Amino acid sequence: MNRHAQYRSFLCSRYRNILCYTALICSLIGLLIALPVLLLLFFPDEWGLGRVFLLTGTSVFFGSLLIRLMFKPDLDNALGFDEGAVIVVLSWTVAIIAGSVPFVASGLNWTQAVFETTSGWTTTGLSVVDVASVSPLILFFRSLMQLAGGAGLAILMLSALTGPAGVSLTTAEGRQDQLVPNVRQSTRLVVSLYFSYVLVGILALKLAGMSWFDAINHSFCALSTGGFSTQPESIGNWNAFHVELVMMVLMLLGTTNFLVSYALWKGKFRLALRNAETHLLGIVALLSVAALFWSTTTQLYAGLSQQFRAALFQSISALSTTGYTTSDLRNWDDSSWLVIIFLMLIGGGVGSTAGGIKQFRICVLIKGISWNIKRFFLPAGSINQPVIWVGENRKVLTDEHFRHIGLHVFLYITIWLLGSYALTLYGHSFAQSFFEYASTIGTVGLSVGVTSIHASNSQLWVQILGMVLGRLEFWVVFLGFLKLGRDFPVLTGATGKS
Amino acid sequence: MAEPVKYISVVIVGCGRLGSQLAGQLSADGYNVVIVDQHEKAFKLLPSKFSGFCITGDATEQLVMQSANLENADCLMAMTQKDTLNLMVALVARVIFSVPHVIARVYDPQYEDLFSSYQIETISPTKLSSQAFLQKIQEYIDI
Repeated sequence: MNRHAQYRSFLCSRYRNILCYTALICSLIGLLIALPVLLLLFFPDEWGLGRVFLLTGTSVFFGSLLIRLMFKPDLDNALGFDEGAVIVVLSWTVAIIAGSVPFVASGLNWTQAVFETTSGWTTTGLSVVDVASVSPLILFFRSLMQLAGGAGLAILMLSALTGPAGVSLTTAEGRQDQLVPNVRQSTRLVVSLYFSYVLVGILALKLAGMSWFDAINHSFCALSTGGFSTQPESIGNWNAFHVELVMMVLMLLGTTNFLVSYALWKGKFRLALRNAETHLLGIVALLSVAALFWSTTTQLYAGLSQQFRAALFQSISALSTTGYTTSDLRNWDDSSWLVIIFLMLIGGGVGSTAGGIKQFRICVLIKGISWNIKRFFLPAGSINQPVIWVGENRKVLTDEHFRHIGLHVFLYITIWLLGSYALTLYGHSFAQSFFEYASTIGTVGLSVGVTSIHASNSQLWVQILGMVLGRLEFWVVFLGFLKLGRDFPVLTGATGKS
Repeated sequence: MAEPVKYISVVIVGCGRLGSQLAGQLSADGYNVVIVDQHEKAFKLLPSKFSGFCITGDATEQLVMQSANLENADCLMAMTQKDTLNLMVALVARVIFSVPHVIARVYDPQYEDLFSSYQIETISPTKLSSQAFLQKIQEYIDI
């Protein structure tokens, strides 16, 4: 009994820490939700919706500030990975629920609102909103969510405020690669790199012919590899090569590992070129452009340049897990869908804003296959480990890497298959379901018509689950909920077990 | 928890009980910390507040120390079990990488003169603990 009480008070002190950091992240979420109010300066007749943003944002902000003040954090005790997982799960839940409120106010039902918000924070870009008729405040808020979700809420918080030392939080949110050997300086570097790209992107898109509002939204969503657009035809609305070119550069920057970005920033081009991910990106992009061009776009478009442009843009958009389109993918044939599914499954670079299985994992598995074969021809006692370049570091691959990555890819494929099966139950075709769920779990956002305002609520929930699992990479969600489920009875004193 | 104005980078060689504790504390205080050890398993000792880089390799090899970015480091701490290895690592840091501050742990007080002749600061656990014991005895006698 005594031991039980002791354990309980220990858990209580840990959860005070957890709540405190969750509250810090939530106050950031509150600020983000209130931010679209600034747009009232340009769209003064949107006051009705602006009030909802302001009220939701400030109440989340002050509510979490209150919790933060109630619990003093214990800075000497750093967070463990499981505690980071709980914080991520809690703060993402708050972000998704609080972010849905303005969508409900703009006329969606709760499921659709949660879907749209999840699609925003996870940088997916699937949408059930009619962008032609919706308020510009909502459009800007969608882009803002993608911008923040792309960088990662933990990274934003750590770069802005004093937070916990240690890397458990950033690791839990899937942003573990550090640029410098100090988590705070590293997050600041990432955030400043990210925002300077965003600024350059806005200017470049403006020069390419977009309006300021479109340029800001598209720069936000291209760099975060999100893919929300302000136009119903997405990038096809402009039908201009220079717009597409800028967008492709931004999407590629967003999908590049920040370690590689940082090496480039410091002028180490050779190191960046040595990265396995850069090789894979080049090869896969080349092959897929060739495949799409050869099989599909030559049939759909008249001029050679038009054919090439469509193939290139769609490949980059799918591989970077952004999800912008220049043409209606429903008209594309089965072979092109399959190519795009492959691209969406591979996804972007690890430690970038992209989703998917991640190029790094694919590289490691390819190395593993060749290593496995090579081992048969070597003497029994020989020591030979494959190596791979990540950023500026040479990494020796061990069995542990292969185990982790093998399990991850297995889980990814399993959940993709299960999710696709679920979509077929709602009356969609085999090809459509596989395409749409690959897009959902990879946080891509390309759609062949499965996701729409007419989709049933339960189908949207299946997709919401896929987006969250895909963005947070499974383990964190499992671990966070399991830990909460185990600790909650002890904290509330419902159980007598010690 | 005062934030350092400039990011000071420290390289620690040897991730034992002392090295890992020190690395964790420096990391939590906002320093850039790189820790080097020959065995990957040693890094398991690091506390969770550590957010620096771990480099696996022999610290006497210059390539390893280059990958630890020693030429830009402000301070090196040699904390391995062996005094001679600490001397070697500290000397390389001082002479080849010209690190401004080099501190080494020395068990054997005899070696301290040798270290100081190369302008390497030393901390001797043997000496420190003997002083502490003497002080305790002194307290008993005084009472």
